Amino acid sequence: MNQVLTTPPAVGAPRPWSFPAATTTTTSAGTPVHVFDRPGQYVATVRVTIAMPLIAEPRELEGVATIMSRTLDEGTQLRSANEFAAALERHGAAYGVDVSSDALHVEISVPVSHLAPAVKLLAEAVTQPAFNQADVGRHVTIRLGEINQERANAGYRAREAFAAHLFDPSTRRSRPTAGTPDTIRPLTNVQVASFYRDNIGPGRAQILFAGDATGVDVAGIIDDAFGGWTSAAGPALETPEPLYVPGDRVVLVDRPGSVQSQLLIGCAGPDRRDPAWGAAAVANHVVGGTITSRVDTVLREEKGYTYGTRTSFTAPRKGGTFSLGGAVRTEVTGAAIGDALRILREARDGLTEQEVQEAKDSLIRTAPLRYEQADSVAQQVGSNIANGVPVDFADTYLTQIAATTAEAASEAYRRYVGINGLLVVVVGEAKDVRDQLTALDLGELIELS
Amino acid sequence: MPLTYPIAEQTLDNGLRVVVSSDRAVPIVAVNLWYDVGSRHEPPGLTGFAHLFEHLMFQGSRNVASGQHFSLLETAGASLNASTFFDRTNYFESLPSGGLDLALWLEADRMGYLLDAVNQENLDNQRDVVKEEKRQSYDNRPYGDSYERLVKLAFPADHPYAHMTIGSMADLDAASVEDVHAFFRKYYGPNNAVLTIVGDVGEEDAFDAAKRYFGHLPAIPTPPPAADGTIGPLTEVLRDDVVSDVPSDLITMMFRLPVDGTPELDAAGLALDILAAGQSGRLNRRLVRDEQIAQSVSGGALPLIGGVSFGTLTGIASDGLDLQKVEDALVEEVEKLAVDGITDDELATVQAQAERDWLEQLATCAGRADEISHHALLFGDPNRINTRIDQVRAITTEQVQAAAAKWIRAEGRVQVTYRRTETAGEQA
Repeated sequence: MNQVLTTPPAVGAPRPWSFPAATTTTTSAGTPVHVFDRPGQYVATVRVTIAMPLIAEPRELEGVATIMSRTLDEGTQLRSANEFAAALERHGAAYGVDVSSDALHVEISVPVSHLAPAVKLLAEAVTQPAFNQADVGRHVTIRLGEINQERANAGYRAREAFAAHLFDPSTRRSRPTAGTPDTIRPLTNVQVASFYRDNIGPGRAQILFAGDATGVDVAGIIDDAFGGWTSAAGPALETPEPLYVPGDRVVLVDRPGSVQSQLLIGCAGPDRRDPAWGAAAVANHVVGGTITSRVDTVLREEKGYTYGTRTSFTAPRKGGTFSLGGAVRTEVTGAAIGDALRILREARDGLTEQEVQEAKDSLIRTAPLRYEQADSVAQQVGSNIANGVPVDFADTYLTQIAATTAEAASEAYRRYVGINGLLVVVVGEAKDVRDQLTALDLGELIELS
Repeated sequence: MPLTYPIAEQTLDNGLRVVVSSDRAVPIVAVNLWYDVGSRHEPPGLTGFAHLFEHLMFQGSRNVASGQHFSLLETAGASLNASTFFDRTNYFESLPSGGLDLALWLEADRMGYLLDAVNQENLDNQRDVVKEEKRQSYDNRPYGDSYERLVKLAFPADHPYAHMTIGSMADLDAASVEDVHAFFRKYYGPNNAVLTIVGDVGEEDAFDAAKRYFGHLPAIPTPPPAADGTIGPLTEVLRDDVVSDVPSDLITMMFRLPVDGTPELDAAGLALDILAAGQSGRLNRRLVRDEQIAQSVSGGALPLIGGVSFGTLTGIASDGLDLQKVEDALVEEVEKLAVDGITDDELATVQAQAERDWLEQLATCAGRADEISHHALLFGDPNRINTRIDQVRAITTEQVQAAAAKWIRAEGRVQVTYRRTETAGEQA
């Protein structure tokens, strides 16, 4: 008979799991190829990750790496832009590029049944771009329009102001990855082609495949497409350590007409070279990583100030950040910041055993979900390569988390959050929130429009 | 060729439809519930209620404390959430398979006994959270109200799709605890839902678990169906011209489309893809690449079950260019497709893209569970996930042109435009 159970049923132990293993080969051009065979994943991702530190950009032409990356598929030496798109999409493939502070990622996702011709096209874009001025000029115009869209976006404005004030102006990361109007406008195909020649080549690249490789000679297909790649580009520059600006301060970005204040509060954080990277992730989970975390329990569930906030430790290759982000109602901006800062500072007093155990369970047990889809494996590995850690770093990270004690998580948090001050960025209606901010007495108030 | 994901199905005595798709290759299981209640079921004065429950369902139930739903599942390694749409609401979690019983127990407790925990306090709190959600997702972003404006133009005021899922804040403010309880009692019960379980569990074990946790819940009286939304193509042009502080001038056109589950809707969706999808779509080639009058274009169909669907085309004007040029080009391309038809190659391209999208959607247990619930609830046939690609592949160029000629026409559209204060001034 059915009886209503009034307490939660027990949870069985999870099956052991580790990050998928790769078979690694090298193309005739010397590029490493990592094949992750994921049976049942009928759509494969092929990702070319190329070391491309943004410090290689001339200061006055920042954004050249982005425009170069976006025009790789806008015509090749064999096909016009329209012909290239038509050929790729006819195979059911989707193409995309991503530029981070340390690397360029060019990738396709494609049904495995169309792998060979699609990989050929991917190689054509990466190794034989045309860089016609008509296409480069169009992308310069599109980037200028995109900057207008970014300026209207509260979340983007907050991230931009955060980077500009957390990093010293000498640090490339203090400025937008994709450049500013001043540095984008002068770009032509001459600078774009020159940046490509100096920075893109088989010696800086690694190629990843994730998908169902049953009966498919993936390494052969990739070598057939990329084996003849030649380039004069030497080794990539090493990204320097970033310089942070310490101290408590508030940056208020006026965004007239805002009905909410977009917040971003944070400071310097670790990167993956730090053995406490996993412990920091555990601490973050407790403090603000989920809806049940300390921050949202108050800001969302008790006070109803926000649809939700999240904290995170994030890092590229060198030098990370900690931040708390979210949007709150204009009238309670000061109160919400006051609560958030109090919670962030109180967490320095230590996290409980129970909180830390629950965070560890969650982070470790969600791993198989995070990497279920082929594309997420390729994303993770590409980001590991860009960040200068081994391709199976996900296992190291899980090992670090499993070994994290409550004291270690608290210590990792204390080492960064609130130790050198906190930067508070507010994007909203300045005339309505200014007095709320000054009443909090958080140090220097910088106003931007 | 059809896909071969296994599908097993049973209906419990209380009417709960349970679908299981076993996949032992992964150590996880996905649990997905679709309730047959969406914004289309909301009568005037109660808009936003289906979505409000998306919040209240996480505030505890008879045997679950507030916040405990999230904390128990997160500790078990789950990824979880819920979503509300015009046609349905959806509650779901994926987690290591040892947590299947926990997930089912939590879902059953809130299906059966949510109202023990819905009181004035958490209603007030979650109403505040919903208002912040609306501010964040609609009011505080450029063009954030475009769909609200478009559905208002595209459908009569009392039509099930004439209001958005977020609803009216005035309706939510006016809601009493009793109103909220009555809405729940009307729609939330085993015989108005589909439960799908996908992943690392045997079929019989999954059915047994479903019975163990849901079997004792009583059926509810058959809920009233949503009002019939059957309506033909638009026959006029209706405009909503907005002047505001937007970053660039933008136009979105909306068309009514055939109801979901028909070859006509698939054909109309492919027509919009030929115009607006990918880099090789007609609009991108002409407006963005060749004439450079637009920064970007986008569009597609939004399939719906209540008698009619809709689809959109959007263009953002290049800086310094009159938005009218974008509108004129969209109108020309829409008419050209309807009158001159499409090529075999264009059709093969959008079909190949649809196939990849579909395979990606099914690539995770969670995605597969969602589509199984979808096709079981709205079409009564979960096995459609295996034949969906063949249905789309079977559409011909003639069907695409016929659907476009009837539904996607310049003279049968609604549109919203946003112009910056400066550009609007220049034209005045």
